[in-house]
Amino acid sequence: MTDPTTDTAPDRRGAIARGLRSVRRGQAVIVAALVFLGLLWLNAALSPYPLSYFDISFLASGGATTAIAAVGQTLVILSGGFDLSAGAVVSLVNAVLATNMDPANMQASAPLWTLVGILIGAGVGAVNGFFVAVMRLQPIVVTLAVMFIVQGITLLVMDTPGGFIAPTLGAFYLGDAIPNLLPAPVAVLAVLVVLWFWLKRTSYGVTLYAVGSDPEAAHATGLRTRTTTFVTYVLAGGLYGLAGVFVSAQTGSGDPLVGNALLLPTFAAVVIGGTRLGGGKGGIVGTILGAYVLMIVVNLLLSLNVSAYYATIAESAVLMIAVLAGSLSADSVLSRRLRDLMAAIGARRAGRLVSQRPREDRRLAFTEPAAETPRLRFLQRHGHTLRHALPAWICLVVVLIVTQLVLGNVFGNQHYWNSLLVLSSFLAILALGQGAVILTGGLDLSLPWGIALSGVLLTGLVGGNDAALWTAIPVVMLVAVGVGLLNGLGVVALGLSPIVVTLAMNGVLQGVALIWSGGTPAGFAPPALRWLMTAKVAGFTPVVLLMVVFVAFAILLLGRTAFGRRIYAVGNSEVAARLSGVRTGRVIISVYVLSALCAALVGILLAGFSGQASLGMGDDYLLPSIAVVVVGGALITGGRGHYAGMLGGALLLTAMQTLLAGTALPIAFRAVFFGLVILAAVIALRD
Amino acid sequence: MYKNFLTGAVCASAMVAGTAQAQDAPYDIYLSMSYIGNDWQAEASNMVKALATSSDYADKVNLQVQVAGPNAQRQIQQINAMVQAGADAIVVYPISPTALNNVVKSACDRGVVVIAYDGEITEPCAYNVTINQAEAGRKTAEWLVEKLGGEGDIIAVTGVPGTSVDTARTTAAMEVFDQHEGINVIGEAVGMWSQAVARTELNKLMATRNWSDIDGLWMQVGCYTANAMQIEAGIAPEDVLPCAGEGSNGGRIQMLPAGTEVEGASSPYIPMGAPRISYAAPPYSGAMALKLAVDILDGKEVEKLTELPLPLVTNETVTLCETGSWEEQKAGCNAFQPGMVSNPGWFASIFAEDLPQLGLNAALVGQPEN
Repeated sequence: MTDPTTDTAPDRRGAIARGLRSVRRGQAVIVAALVFLGLLWLNAALSPYPLSYFDISFLASGGATTAIAAVGQTLVILSGGFDLSAGAVVSLVNAVLATNMDPANMQASAPLWTLVGILIGAGVGAVNGFFVAVMRLQPIVVTLAVMFIVQGITLLVMDTPGGFIAPTLGAFYLGDAIPNLLPAPVAVLAVLVVLWFWLKRTSYGVTLYAVGSDPEAAHATGLRTRTTTFVTYVLAGGLYGLAGVFVSAQTGSGDPLVGNALLLPTFAAVVIGGTRLGGGKGGIVGTILGAYVLMIVVNLLLSLNVSAYYATIAESAVLMIAVLAGSLSADSVLSRRLRDLMAAIGARRAGRLVSQRPREDRRLAFTEPAAETPRLRFLQRHGHTLRHALPAWICLVVVLIVTQLVLGNVFGNQHYWNSLLVLSSFLAILALGQGAVILTGGLDLSLPWGIALSGVLLTGLVGGNDAALWTAIPVVMLVAVGVGLLNGLGVVALGLSPIVVTLAMNGVLQGVALIWSGGTPAGFAPPALRWLMTAKVAGFTPVVLLMVVFVAFAILLLGRTAFGRRIYAVGNSEVAARLSGVRTGRVIISVYVLSALCAALVGILLAGFSGQASLGMGDDYLLPSIAVVVVGGALITGGRGHYAGMLGGALLLTAMQTLLAGTALPIAFRAVFFGLVILAAVIALRD
Repeated sequence: MYKNFLTGAVCASAMVAGTAQAQDAPYDIYLSMSYIGNDWQAEASNMVKALATSSDYADKVNLQVQVAGPNAQRQIQQINAMVQAGADAIVVYPISPTALNNVVKSACDRGVVVIAYDGEITEPCAYNVTINQAEAGRKTAEWLVEKLGGEGDIIAVTGVPGTSVDTARTTAAMEVFDQHEGINVIGEAVGMWSQAVARTELNKLMATRNWSDIDGLWMQVGCYTANAMQIEAGIAPEDVLPCAGEGSNGGRIQMLPAGTEVEGASSPYIPMGAPRISYAAPPYSGAMALKLAVDILDGKEVEKLTELPLPLVTNETVTLCETGSWEEQKAGCNAFQPGMVSNPGWFASIFAEDLPQLGLNAALVGQPEN
């Protein structure tokens, strides 16, 4: 007989180790829960009244729509994708329910209409899934195109708020699952969590994580990656549909725009909840907590009486702190960077740092470059670039021909070409910055308020005076460099996802622009700037010449400089690039600086174009800036793309918008067509 | 610490942080705005703050301002938080006319006065302060038809599609155009109620056309920009097309006869006698909502729907203000010196008969007349 203690001790130690491991794995979720509880407690402490069951019930319903939609988003992100159609689907379901429920039937069945909503969402998800999983297109463009199409369809279903939602739906989703103990929204979320824990253990769940971690490996192991990806988008769509049903229940009526603003909050909820953008790690419990953190911040801003101008800054701070705290550990990027820094300082003291060694050629004989490079034929050298850059240009030609047929007055009309070039100049400039960031595998979401802040700063500083441009432009550009540096440092030094850092930066810039301008930007663009953007010299606006110079600069920068090559190297494999001696940190920081500078240039030019700056003037450029880069043949995960293609993308999008603006098509149809053209362009890009 | 920092931050608006739970004056009134990134919203918020700090209201009102952004979910949450914080009244710029119904109902049930400005809330217990949007669309369209003598090709630039305000205005205007055989709407674009968007959209519309192809414009926002673009295209100021559109100060200044003496003008923000009708949803509606909220809390009888008079200004009625005081506006002036209002997109329809506390400075910087 053996001693029981010796037998169980390793077991117990194993259990403790397992427990610790799962705590560490759940760190982000635990942090999100602590942040939520802390904020809830702070809010209750500041409130003059004690927190009642009613308040909790209301809080639960307030965050539920975002939470449910964000759960869907989590699934897509776990699979390594990205879904921009989430908000649009919520609006669509709300509009369909509100227009189709019979006002005479006060007893409409909640389960039946829930099913309708989920099916509509799943239908849209199936479209996304088909193009992503079967056609193998990039999720971000597919869902962007589908977003435009769904928004158009929603406006066709319902062009103005109204309609009717049966009160039974409200009673079902907002009432009590157990009176005075369990509000219905909490019960709905609990059901989702239980389903999730079951799903995670099925072969689908295992494959989902495998696909998100490494799609190649998952495929090679014989997992059904395509089916899994397809099912993920369908499930996610169904969840957006459920969110749409919930918002219908909550508001008791329809509004075709109600869900559109939910898109960015779903991303914020996902990252606060600790799910890794890029896939393979995370889960929905954290996401749900993340959604409620976002909601409770609204209450807290009120309790603390934070001025409206500071609200977005405070929110960005919460986002950054929550995400940072969730990822902090001994082997997180931040601690690694700190250790690297200490090591570098130590090495410098000891004189062992690489840069302190004498500069002499230490290459081994066999690494010497060949004396003669093999001559490649034109197609061998550029075929790959052309393969991805040409589709945008081909689509552009098609759109131009259609414009000529429908509206006439294109090919022989210098005025048309001038308008096209001037209007696409903004996107063409943004494409360099956003493109460089995307080539390294990042994404810059701080463009909208980077543009607005630059424009507002410029017009405020110059006050309509040409001479002041010489001081104002450098100041604006310096501010942009600062913004880019902070973005880059956030990504490199803190090791946070670019989406989190730049989303938070966007909020901060919004706050700064509001505070600086006091809500109404003053001042004009000076005459020289207005001349640049609106005058005509020999039939062309002067900015067209600037564009030619810019395009040449961009192509040379990305294609012919060491900096450009390093960008591609980092995008293809950051590790390989670093091991080859590329200072990857510097490269990544530089691309964010470049992006911020491009945004600032666009802000300046837009101010000249409009004659003055306005606060919302960057809002319409974020999604198009991503679209032109991807339509131009770049890979959203980085490493592939050419500026010539992006330029084609910018011209294509502008030509398409010009065509649609010229037709007599109803506005809702225009959105649908726009989405279809983007989809067609990326199908042409298919490998 | 907190309070010092925050009071410092918001000293201009002179808001008073406090947790008073008084049922009598001073009333705790909360303002839930949607978005603060445009001129209209900034002016509306300035005027609400100005009224709250005017000598008539400073002792009666504790005002606190919050912003919900474009997200209706957040506004729902915010209104509920305001109720929890002990609001006596909530003044709200509704993001959606319908999405807030349930939360507004629950606020009403707890005895809170909810009053919406500019947009409407369809929940019956809410008070609304607004203009008749359909009338705005109709009147401006009728003016344009009359100006063109019932014949001509026009371009329409609408607002934000899917909102009830845009639908009401555009539908009413299109009905008028449909009734006149000779009027053809040859192009339509989404203007998003922004001068900057109006410029890009007009550029797209004009890419395959000439200005001589069209006879008039109907725009919810953007006449100022359209006139500027025509001047840039080399059209003489006296030949600028008739435009029915928004009440921006830039547009009003352009309506003044060419040669009128103004301070601080530079082209295209100059008097040029542009043929215009200028209308606006007046930005004082928020301040009016605050006044009515106090009236209701004082026990006065207030109608559920307060329809504000539609401010319509034509070339015949446009008049330049010297100082922009309430008194002067009462005497009939309705355009402000570019030297004082440097932003041409700024909305000039700020005169309210019932709000003598609010002049130009209230809308510009949130400073009341007394």
